[in-house]
Amino acid sequence: MRHQFLAGMAALTAVLAIATTSAQAFDESKYPDWSGAWRRITIPGVTGQPAYDPTKRLGKAQNAPLTPEAMAILEASIADQAKGGQGNYKTYTCLAPGMPRAMTPYGMMEFVITPDTTHVLIEHIHDARRIFTDGRDWPAQMTPTLQGYSIGKWIDSDGDGRFDTLEVETRGFRGPRTFDASGMSLHSDNKSIIKERIKPDPTNPDVLLNEITTIDNSLTRPWTVTKKYGRDTKETDPAWDEENCAEGNGHVEIRGQGFFLSAEGDLMPAKKDQAPPDLRNFQAGN
Amino acid sequence: MYFRNVIGAVAQVASVPVIALLISVSAAQAFDASVYPNLGGQWSRAPVPGMTGEPPFDPSKPPGLGQQAPLKPEYQARFEASLKERAAGVPGTWPGPSCMPPGMPAQMTAYEPMELIVLPRLTLIRIDYIRDTKRRIFTDGRAWPAHAEPTHDGYSIGKWIDEDRDGKFDVLEIETRNFKGPRAFDLNGMPMHDDNETVIKERIYLDKSNKDLLLNEMTVTDNALTRPWTVKKSYVRSANLRPEWPEYMCVERMNAMKIGGETYLLDKDGYVMPAKRGQKAPSLKYFPSANK
Repeated sequence: MRHQFLAGMAALTAVLAIATTSAQAFDESKYPDWSGAWRRITIPGVTGQPAYDPTKRLGKAQNAPLTPEAMAILEASIADQAKGGQGNYKTYTCLAPGMPRAMTPYGMMEFVITPDTTHVLIEHIHDARRIFTDGRDWPAQMTPTLQGYSIGKWIDSDGDGRFDTLEVETRGFRGPRTFDASGMSLHSDNKSIIKERIKPDPTNPDVLLNEITTIDNSLTRPWTVTKKYGRDTKETDPAWDEENCAEGNGHVEIRGQGFFLSAEGDLMPAKKDQAPPDLRNFQAGN
Repeated sequence: MYFRNVIGAVAQVASVPVIALLISVSAAQAFDASVYPNLGGQWSRAPVPGMTGEPPFDPSKPPGLGQQAPLKPEYQARFEASLKERAAGVPGTWPGPSCMPPGMPAQMTAYEPMELIVLPRLTLIRIDYIRDTKRRIFTDGRAWPAHAEPTHDGYSIGKWIDEDRDGKFDVLEIETRNFKGPRAFDLNGMPMHDDNETVIKERIYLDKSNKDLLLNEMTVTDNALTRPWTVKKSYVRSANLRPEWPEYMCVERMNAMKIGGETYLLDKDGYVMPAKRGQKAPSLKYFPSANK
């Protein structure tokens, strides 16, 4: 059915023009069909929370090429998490993961391809992206963001007259950002450069591959991983979730310390023997 | 089969930004961009001359009681209680103490810049405020779904109208239902009914004399109201062809938190502090060391 659909698409030629002074036709038949809802594909046997490199388990098993300083940060984060803390896992406060972690992805993902921008809409915390494909250069000034500033280029890698690969470079970051929930941190200088090649699996158009190379000063060398996304082929009209991180979040952070909230919303320790928050602003007896 | 695929056309009219267009594949119909209005670019809430402070739901009237919202007595009482809390120092509805999203209809106040992406069977509205809103307005002629999870944004079905019969669509009519709460009309906490049976009708169109001015006539029917309430919102298009899209991380801007059902503030050093005079400290009953 899917192949019939693609054949139909290949036959479809739509030339759209707008009566303008500088009209530019966007020939959809040159772009791949990435419509629908996409989710990360889990690798059989790799259990636990989704890790940055999906082929390996979370934490030190990732064998990330971390600098000694970054490795020490990861180990401290893992140790804190073992005690019940959050380590460097800041998304528990509903801070967005930013790039490259957003592309894990944690929720449903949609690609909306328009002539000048590919929108990557991910239902998670705050993970939606804009990838500008209008041929622009890096702006002279970029306000740093967790998602960064993404410039993309469509490539016809097999020369069949149709784009099949979206190459993206992303810069202009701020932090804190981690690769995954273990708290494996990107460098605090936020000079990351992330390069992506997003393309369909040659054997299955319902699988997208995202080869992500991260250049970051927390790493001894560029680190490349390949993420796989599967298209929801069961739903012709996906029911798009609305993810509100704050809704039902049972965590709060006070002066860098994470606490749980009880069912009634009262503060609870997250770790054994954790001290209560300093309530110096309240008079005794209040 | 997938019901959508990408097809589009670009309109670049001097300073006018781009329209993005997609096509219905299942219907295999060409999408004629020239029959749709150019809603591309970055839209911001239009300033109202003489109006200062936080943007209210009805932009033509002062905030708070000045809105003269047709609230039922029970909800008017809740609203007045909220206003008292605000006067006492408790933060406004957004970002509020918990970063819950505004949802509809408040999000169309456009607290942050807005992008409309017109596609043949769908119009997307992206607003990066509290959450990265991706409002989907289905314009493919569908009926209301038999089952849909209630959301803050609701479920929107739209229809393009050629009102002046010039062969070009000029109005997007939308109806939105299927909500969850809590939702409020604006930052002062003007409440919507707990039953969430809200129905919102919108008419979105470009001003006839100024194509960089977008108007949204919005009528809200809600059981907190004595009658449907209609307001008109305006948005202005940025002249910048490549505008910056700000990233709004609520948790970083929030200087409040909810503990034990009470809203507290955080001081400049991050210590919890009362939001209002005489407020009791949060309970530390779960901390053995605090109870010795």
